[in-house]
Amino acid sequence: MKAYINGISYYLPEKILVNEELSKMHPEWSVEKISEKTGIYQRHISSDNEYSSDMALSAIELFFAEHIITKDKIDFILFCTQSPDYSLPTTACIIQDKAGLSKTCGALDFNLGCSGYIYGLGLAKGLVETGQAKNLLLITSETYTKLINKKDKTNKTIFGDAASVSLITSEPNDDYFKASLDKFVYGTDGSGFENLIVKNSGIKKHTKKSINNYDENGDYKSNDDFLYMNGKEIFQFTSFEVPLLINKTLIENSLEIEDVDMFVFHQANEFMLSFVRKRCKIPEEKFFVSIKDVGNTVSSSIPIALLRAINQKKIVSGNKVILAGFGVGLSLGATVITFE
Amino acid sequence: MDREIFLQKVIAQFVDLDKILSFESNFRENNSYDSLTGMTIMVMIKDDYGIDITENEYRSKKSIAELYDFVNQNKKQ
Repeated sequence: MKAYINGISYYLPEKILVNEELSKMHPEWSVEKISEKTGIYQRHISSDNEYSSDMALSAIELFFAEHIITKDKIDFILFCTQSPDYSLPTTACIIQDKAGLSKTCGALDFNLGCSGYIYGLGLAKGLVETGQAKNLLLITSETYTKLINKKDKTNKTIFGDAASVSLITSEPNDDYFKASLDKFVYGTDGSGFENLIVKNSGIKKHTKKSINNYDENGDYKSNDDFLYMNGKEIFQFTSFEVPLLINKTLIENSLEIEDVDMFVFHQANEFMLSFVRKRCKIPEEKFFVSIKDVGNTVSSSIPIALLRAINQKKIVSGNKVILAGFGVGLSLGATVITFE
Repeated sequence: MDREIFLQKVIAQFVDLDKILSFESNFRENNSYDSLTGMTIMVMIKDDYGIDITENEYRSKKSIAELYDFVNQNKKQ
C-alpha cells in the first residue's frame, strides 16, 4: 500500500501588513531594503480573535470546497502547530468537532515549526501505509505573529500567518495531482533550542516579569514572553546542515541532483534560500521560491509553495521533487515525492 | 595564507558593493553591509579556513586586516 499527497488547500488571513507600514513603524528600515533582503513585500496577519484552530477550520472548508472527497471519508487528522489554542486539550480534537469530521477519526497535535510539514508527511505515510488510516488530513496552522513583540522589527518583517490542509491517502483520486511519498531523512540538534524560542510559553517559566532587553545600540533584542530568534545561529545551522540533509536525501533515494526536477524548501526568507541553494549546488531554475506575498509561514510554507509550483506547472506528472524543512528545535527533515 | 585571496573572499560576500574595500577600511561602514553580510562572512571563514568564529569575536574585528589576522592566528594553532 502506498501513500499519496492528493490535494492541498491553504488559507491566508484577510489582514495584510505591507512593507510601507513596517517602514513607517521603523523609519530606520527602508521599504527597498526590507524587500530586497527578505524577498517579502507583505505578510498576512491573523485577526485578534483568530487562532490556529480557526485558521485550520478555514483551510479545511476551502479544502472540501476545492476537492471531491467528503468529510465522512476522513479517518485521521494530524495537526502541526506551535500556537495551539490551549496547552491541553489537543487542538486537533477541537478541529475534529468544529469541522464536522467523524467521531471515529483519530486526531493529534504535534509541535514542530519549519520542519513540521516534512515530519507530518512522514507520520502520515506511516499511518496510511500500515493501514491505520486511509484518508488523513495533515493540517498546518500558525499564528506566530501573535508571539512577536511590537518592537521586534526583524521577526515582524519575516513571519506571516497561514494554515494549510493536505490529503494523504492510499486511495487517490485521479482528478487531482497525485504524489507518492518516498524515503525520508530527519535530523535534530536540540543543543540549539534557545536560538528560536518563546521562553515563557510552557510550564517551565524562566522569568516572572515581562521585560524588553536591548542591545548596545539600543535596538530591541528579546523579551521572554515573545518569540526570540538568534538569526546568526539559525543562519549557520541552515548553511551547514541543509546541504548535508539534501545530500543524504539524494543518497537514501538513490538519486543524483540532476534526477530531481524541482526543490521546494521551507520558505524562510529569500536571502537565506538563495544562499542555501548555492551551497547545495541546485540550479536556480530547479528551485521554487514563493514568499513575496506571504512571508515565512512556518509549517505552512512548504505546502503553500508546493501547491503554487503545481498550479504554475513548474511541477508536472512524472517529476521528482525534494521537499526540505528546517528551523526551530533545531529540527530538519527532507523527502522525495514523485508525481504520477 | 594569501592576504589578497582572503580580501577577495570577504568582498565576494557583499551584494552591490558601493565602494572599494581595502584591508584597512572598516567594512561595516560600507552601505551594502548588514547583518546578513556578516553571517555569510562567518560562514565563509568556517567553510574555507575551518575556523568557528564566534559572534563576539567577529564583532570585535573592525577591519578586514583584523579579521585576516584572527583567521591566520587560529589557523596556525
